[in-house]
This record gives sequence, structure tokens and C-alpha cells, in this order.
Amino acid sequence: MKQTTLSVVLEVQPQSADNLSALIGELRHREDKPPPGSSEQYGRLKNGVPVLHFMSLSVFPSADYDPIFVIEANFDGPAGVFWGQLEATLGIELRAMLRCCKKPADQDGPLYLAVTSPDSRVPLAPYLEARTLRPSVFHHGTRGMDRDRILREGELFLATRRVLTQSSPTLANPYRAMTAEQIHANLRAALQPDFPWLDIPAPIRISRIERAGDLARLIIFLFLLLACLSIPGAVIAFISPWQRFLVIFAVLGCVVAFALYLMRAPLEGLGAPSRSGGLTASSLSRRNKLTSLAHPATLAIAVMVLLALYIAVASAIGTALAVLFTGLPVETLWCPTIRVVALGLVSVFLFTIPALVFWLRRLERRDASHDAPPIDSDMMLKMGQREDRIAQNHMGSVVLVKPGVLRTLLFRTGHRGLGLVLRVVATDGYLGSMRTIHFAHWAFVNNGSRLMFFSNFDHSWESYLDDFIEKAHGGLTLAWGSCIGFPPTRFLVLDGASHGRKFKAWARHSMAVSRFWFAAYKDYTVDQIERHARIANGLRQIALTKKEADAWVRDL
Amino acid sequence: MPRDENILRQKAGGPMVWLMALAPLVFRLLRAVWPIPHFGKTFVVTRYDDVRAVFLDDRTYRVPYREKLDVIMGGQPFFLGMDDTADYRRDTGAMRQVVLRSDVPTLLAPDVERLAQDAVDKGNGQLEVVDSLVRHVTFKVFGKYFGITDPPGEDLRVWATRLFEFQFADAGNDPALRSEVDHIAPALCAHVLALIEARLQSGMFGDDVLGRCLTMQAKGEIGFSDDQIRTALIGFMVGGPPQPPMVLPQALEQLLRRPDALAQAQQAARDGDDALLAGFVFEAMRFDPLAPALPRVATQKSVIAVGTRHMTTIPSGANVYAAFSSAMMDERRIPSPLQFNPRRQPHEYIHFGHGLHTCFGIHMNQALLPLMLKPLLKRSGLRRAPGRPGHLSKSGAFSNAINVLYD
Ligand code: HEM
Repeated sequence: MKQTTLSVVLEVQPQSADNLSALIGELRHREDKPPPGSSEQYGRLKNGVPVLHFMSLSVFPSADYDPIFVIEANFDGPAGVFWGQLEATLGIELRAMLRCCKKPADQDGPLYLAVTSPDSRVPLAPYLEARTLRPSVFHHGTRGMDRDRILREGELFLATRRVLTQSSPTLANPYRAMTAEQIHANLRAALQPDFPWLDIPAPIRISRIERAGDLARLIIFLFLLLACLSIPGAVIAFISPWQRFLVIFAVLGCVVAFALYLMRAPLEGLGAPSRSGGLTASSLSRRNKLTSLAHPATLAIAVMVLLALYIAVASAIGTALAVLFTGLPVETLWCPTIRVVALGLVSVFLFTIPALVFWLRRLERRDASHDAPPIDSDMMLKMGQREDRIAQNHMGSVVLVKPGVLRTLLFRTGHRGLGLVLRVVATDGYLGSMRTIHFAHWAFVNNGSRLMFFSNFDHSWESYLDDFIEKAHGGLTLAWGSCIGFPPTRFLVLDGASHGRKFKAWARHSMAVSRFWFAAYKDYTVDQIERHARIANGLRQIALTKKEADAWVRDL
Repeated sequence: MPRDENILRQKAGGPMVWLMALAPLVFRLLRAVWPIPHFGKTFVVTRYDDVRAVFLDDRTYRVPYREKLDVIMGGQPFFLGMDDTADYRRDTGAMRQVVLRSDVPTLLAPDVERLAQDAVDKGNGQLEVVDSLVRHVTFKVFGKYFGITDPPGEDLRVWATRLFEFQFADAGNDPALRSEVDHIAPALCAHVLALIEARLQSGMFGDDVLGRCLTMQAKGEIGFSDDQIRTALIGFMVGGPPQPPMVLPQALEQLLRRPDALAQAQQAARDGDDALLAGFVFEAMRFDPLAPALPRVATQKSVIAVGTRHMTTIPSGANVYAAFSSAMMDERRIPSPLQFNPRRQPHEYIHFGHGLHTCFGIHMNQALLPLMLKPLLKRSGLRRAPGRPGHLSKSGAFSNAINVLYD
């Protein structure tokens, strides 16, 4: 089952911000402490919205903008179904909250008025749908696991505990004397009657179509990126003989590279030691599997194939366009088109990318970072009260984006690329080498002038950020580095988040209190969910080979 | 109850029945390309959100039942035809004092299960479901519960079904039906008034709905004049009992088309898991509900689906059809609508209307409809009778017959 992450970001009428926070607080209170005799904590949401994994309602105050109200949701399947279920469950509360928000100035204004007018009964779902923001980057730690499956496999796990427990302290536990295959056979026999779904094969987590789609999107993105970057070179390739072209670009490239070399080091006192886990070449190793892109040979071949493919496709499209515009025959056009495309491609690596990096590096050296952001102690207290109550935690943050043409282009393109790469690479819950995130996403708000981040993660906030700093600082710096006040970065992905203390202070400063937060399986970490899945997958099999059983039994 | 072979007026089959079978496909297309089709002053809303919006905005989209209700009730207003007024709240409030939710498990459910069991036992391995099971049980149970007996020498099933057809399924205003109604309506009013009179005379009110009404009247509660009582009781008998024999055979037909679902529904019946059994029955009904749509009339110029691409302006006086059958299949809000799923959320069903005029008997229906089929579903070897009789036949909007065999 494909999961969806989205958010709805609504501007709040400043005079209604307190009222809105109070409404969210009331909802939280009601769900936290349901009236006696009614369902479990958050049972209304859990039962009424069976597709929902995690959801939060937050209000972000700001010195620069009016507050924003954000509904963050992570669920199974299409958004329409989710909104229908949410409206049926929390429609009354949500309508009251929407009434605290501003009427959008665009085409959604009339719909806003219709849903918020006094006594309105107009369905809310279309409005929420219309105001939905798609994330720029998102990560799903339990990819393809629908909520029902996570809960079911969790119950199965608990049942295995019961079966495996020694029935009496004086009796020997029979499972101790068994081989892994016998344990499997016995457990399956004991559990199958209560879990008849063990006879049905596990649902496919990521379908071939989804996988192919993810790959295709990434490849198309790379093609377009190369095409855009090769425009300056291609324009010159039209008028310049190829020998002259190569010499000019080689010289230009050397000049830029030398300038970059001079600027490579961090400025005095602004460097940060970075260990593994970044987007560094050190993660490439010949010890990796040959089928993995982390093997240098495989990566090199993949890059070559991609570039060759690019030349072929771009030349074909270029020739077709040239025929359309000039009316000349294909035979005359294909050869010069290939030449322009190939030279354009060469210029991307010889000049365009280095030149952009040079420009970026100049900006980076003059960037201001916010070394001691003020921390609101009242806010910190409220955040502290809400954290570490269950196995998971939640954070939401909003930061300003740095201005400038290059920053905007790099940042937007970087997000798009990172988002697509994550879809292709992060399929087993791991983000780099960390696996503590259930659902996280970034999205641009306020017309792209601010960046919002939400995460639903395991363990404490401190350990989560430490993990990020240690194991995924490269991606993190790429995703957040163009935001105002972020610790000093180098070459878009270096330093930045590796300034651990500064980064944490900056992140805390940007956060808002998670006023309402729902987690559908509050006791399970991502690791635990994957462990449940492995156990369940083993039990779905009628028999395991010795090797399989030995591996399987280690999870018990 | 005298047995009347001609409870339904029309013959089974005909082009209308074939056309109606195409409705799901047509609605699916319309939802995608023309969600609010209109022909002159007639508008049809097909998407889930818009159907709900129409039902919920009862000020703008009023029920059009008043005129025909006046014929049936002799001019005494019944709340089905009213707007959200003080009269509406008084009348429905009064009836909620005598038609109690707590009656369902204590009075109605045991009767339904017992009578349905008797009918299945009597069938001896072979049963026509529309009449011998569902209509029989429904009229027996509700007649007793409301305190309405057969009129002397007449058949209440025929009268109620005729009046129901006139009220809800006679868009063409058939003169032949009208002349029957002109005879039946005053006779039924007189019959119910006579029942009231007889109870008052005897001084024994009893604990059925009629008896409770008379007790309220004696206490001087408002909303319980003789005319109000007889109007409500006629409204209930005409609006309620003719419907289970329409929808339950349709649900059974849908289950028979899905052997897996049927087997699971039978298992739920045998396990006594009434909640799950209800899930199967209402899900089966979703594939063939009571009607394609319910009618409304626009009281003012209005806009449906504001701010969306299919926003449509509805002129005052337009006929608006809220296609609830289509709403329950709308993939925009209903997860995998073509999949048979007995564990859906309550909001995915609009079987009993929505908003102000939501079915007054909804709680009875939710509990009793599954129970009417339960004894039959418990039987092993449940299958269609051979040939045509084993498939549901329809006459107009009504289910005509479906024969099944069991061990
Ligand atoms: C299969 C059984 C039934 C179905 C499918 C059904 C369906 C409906 C529907 C769709 C409406 C709404 C009409 C509209 O909004 O235009 C309605 C209203 C109504 N139903 Fe039912 N019904 C059933 C059984 C009953 C029973 C057993 C009773 C007996 C009490 C009953 C009494 C009423 C009444 C009084 C209304 C009008 C409610 C109002 O105006 O507030 N129905 N029904």
C-alpha cells in the first residue's frame, strides 16, 4: 500500500491565534482523556480514520508573518479517502479551527467562505483538499506497510511472546531444546488459528509499477537538469568549432577550478569535523555488492550509460525540433545536433557546474549564521511537557529561506532531486545509516519564502538530532542549508549540520509546540516494526529451510 | 392477513428495469466527466461531497413530498414533508418519545428473528425471499409494534405498498394508481382513527406505539391529537415496511453473486456476530441500494460545489436529485468502492438519507434488516433456485421475487 504525506498550511487571523490554540488544546485534552466508558485514548481518531499513521495540528507563530495553522498528515492510500474519514471524525472541530484562519486571497476564497459561514454544513474535505501542500522532500520509514498490517503484525509479535514464555518457572521451556526449524513449525501451528491471515502471502510493499515510476521520475529529472545546465555551452557550441570549444572551456574550467581550490577550506573557525554518513565519496566501496550503486564500478558504469542515453535522447529530441523549425531534412540535422548536445554536456562538467559552485561558495563565505538563537523558555517548557511520553516523538519547524537567484534555484532543484533520490534509495527504512524516522517531510510555505519540516521519529529529540548530525548530515545540510541562520555550510553539503551544538540550537529555535499529535502505534519503533514484519513473513511460510530458519529465529 | 397475489401493480421486468441496471456505470462516467449533469431545470448531483451538501442544506434543497403526502394524509401535515420548523421538531420530538431506541433489542429484534426463523423452517428447503420472508416478517413485526392491524377485509401490505409507490415511485403520476390511492388513503385514515377510537373506548392503551401515543394524549402532552397520531402512524406504515422487501432481496442477490462474501456472511450469521453480519448486509446493499437518488426542490438560487471546477449554479425551483447510490461508489471519498468490504466506516453509507430527513427508523433498520436474513443465512447449502426464479426479478422500483434453496 502506498503511503501519502501531506500538509495543509493556513494563515491564521492574528486576533484568533489564541482561540485556535485553545481549540486545538481542547481537542487534545478530549482525546487524551476521553470521557469514562468511551473508547481508548485517541480512539475516536484511531477508529474513525483507519488509514491514519501520524497526524499533527500546530500553530507556528512568527515575528515576520502572521501565525500559520498546519495540519500534517501521514496515511495510507489516496488523500480523498483520508479527508473523507477525517471530516466524518473531526469535522465539527476542524470547521471551528478553520474559522480562525484567513480567507485565501486566491480562487479558494469562495470555498473558504462557504465552509466557514455561520451554520455552514458545506463539506470541508474539498477545501482541505484544495489547500493541500505536497512535500518537497519526504521520507517513509515503514514504506509500503499499511497501518492495519503494522498493528496486526505487532499483535502477532506479542502472541509469539506469550507462546514462547515458559509456562511455569519449574518446567523447562520446550522451545529451548528445539532447532530453529522446529521452533518455526511449532510457533506457526500455535499461532495460525488466531492469525488466519498467516495463510495469505504478505502484501507487496513497493510494487514494480511504483518502483519503475520512482526510477523514471529520477531519470527524467536528471535529464532535464543536464539539459538546463548544458544550455550555456550548447549555445556557444552552435558557433564555435569543436576544437576551439574544448580549448576555451578547458581553460575556463581550469580557472574556475583553481579559484575553487583556493576557496575550498572553511573560513577561520567555521569548519566542522564530519565523520561518516554524509554525501561523501567514502561511502563508495568495492566491498559493496556489485549490484549496488555504492560499488564504484557499478556507479561508473551507471553514470556512463546515463550520459550516453542522455546524448541519444537529447539529440533525437533536438533533431526533431530542428526539423520542425528549419524544415531541413533529418540527414542534414542529426550530425550537428549530436555535436551541440555532446559539447553542451562536456561544458556542464568542465564549466557550468564548477562556475555555479564557485558562485555558491562566494555566497557561503559571506553568509550570516545565527549562532545564539533566542530560546523562549516558556515554549521550551511546553515542548518538554509533550516530549518523551511514548516511544516516538514529533517535531515541527518553520524557517526562513535565504534570498537570491542562485540560492532559490539550487535549493528548489536540490529539494526536488533529494526527494526523488530518497524515493529510489530509501526503500528499507534507512536514511543513510539511521532508521528512526517513521514519516518526515519538508515543504515550502508562504510562497516559497519559508521551509517547513515535520518528523515523526523514535526515541528522544536529542538522540534523533544526534543521529542526524552523525549519520545524515550531508542530506540534512543540503535540505536545510539554504535557510536563514543555518550553521555555515561548504559546497552545499559540507559542514552545516555537522556543527552539532549550533545546529541543535537553531533547530530548537525554529520549532513550535506540537499542540495536537496522534500516533497510531505508539509503542513501536521503526526497527521494531521491521522486526515484526520479518517474524510475520517467516510465519507466513509453511516451512523454512535450515538457513532461513536460523536467520529468522534471531528476531524472536 | 389475507393473502393477495398482486401486492405489486406492475409486471416484472420491462425496459425500466434494464435501464436501472445501467445506472452504476452511467454514474461512474458522470462522476468523472460531468459530476452535476442537468437537463432543463433538473439537476443530478453524483459526487459524495455534493450529495452530502444537498442533503445537509435543507433550507435550500427542500423535500418535495408535501403535495402527495397531503393526498395520503387528508391534508394533515406529516413531518417528512416539512422544513426544519418548530412543527417539525415538535412532531419528530413527540414520536421519539414513543418510538424508543431501546425497543429495538427488547421488542423488535426477538420478534424479527423468531418470525424469520419460522418462515425459513416453513419453507422447508425452498423459499421465495421477497414475500414469504421479508415482507411477511416486516409487516407482522411493524404492524404489531405500531399497533396497526389489517383493515377489515383488506390487506395492509397492499395498501401501504400502493401508497408508498404513489408517494415515492410514481414520477409519471399514473392516473390508475391515483384512483386506487383516492380510495385507499381515506379508508386507511378512517381505519386508523377507528383503531384509536376502539382503544379509547376500551380504556386499555397497551404498550405498542399507538398505545403509548394515547397515554401521552391522556397526559396532555403536545403532538398527540388523534389526527397527529394517525398521521404519524400512517406515515410510519407507508414509509417504513414497504422498504425492507425492496432492499433486502437486492442485498441477497448481491451476496449470491459473490460466493466468498456469502460464505463469510453465513459464517457471521452462524457465529452470532450480528455486527459483522450487518456489515455484510449493508455492504451488499451499497451495490444495489433503495433507489438511485432522492429528490429535492431548490427554494432559492444556489451554487453547488463552490470553488471547484464543477461548480454549478442551481436556479430557484429546480429539481435536484441527490444520487446517494452514486455517492456510495465515489472513489474520491470511498476507499476502493468496487471492492466488497464488510468493514467500512459508517460515513461511507447513505442508505437511509442524510441530514434533516434522515430515516426516522434508521436505528431499527440497522439492527433489524440483518436479522431478517440471519436465519436464512445460517442454513447450509444456501443457493439460488434453478433458472430464472433463482435470480432477483424486479417490477419497477420494487423487488418482485427471488427463490433460494437450502439444506
Ligand atoms: C429498508 C428500510 C428503510 C430504508 C432503506 C429507508 C430509507 C429512508 C430514506 C432514504 C429516507 C430519507 C428520505 C429523504 O430524505 O428524501 C427515509 C426517511 C424516513 N423513513 Fe425510512 N427507510 C427504511 C425503513 C423505515 C422504517 C422501518 C420506518 C419506520 C419508522 C421509516 C420511517 C421513515 C420516516 C418517518 C422518514 C422521514 C424522516 C424525516 O422526515 O425526518 N423508514 N427513510
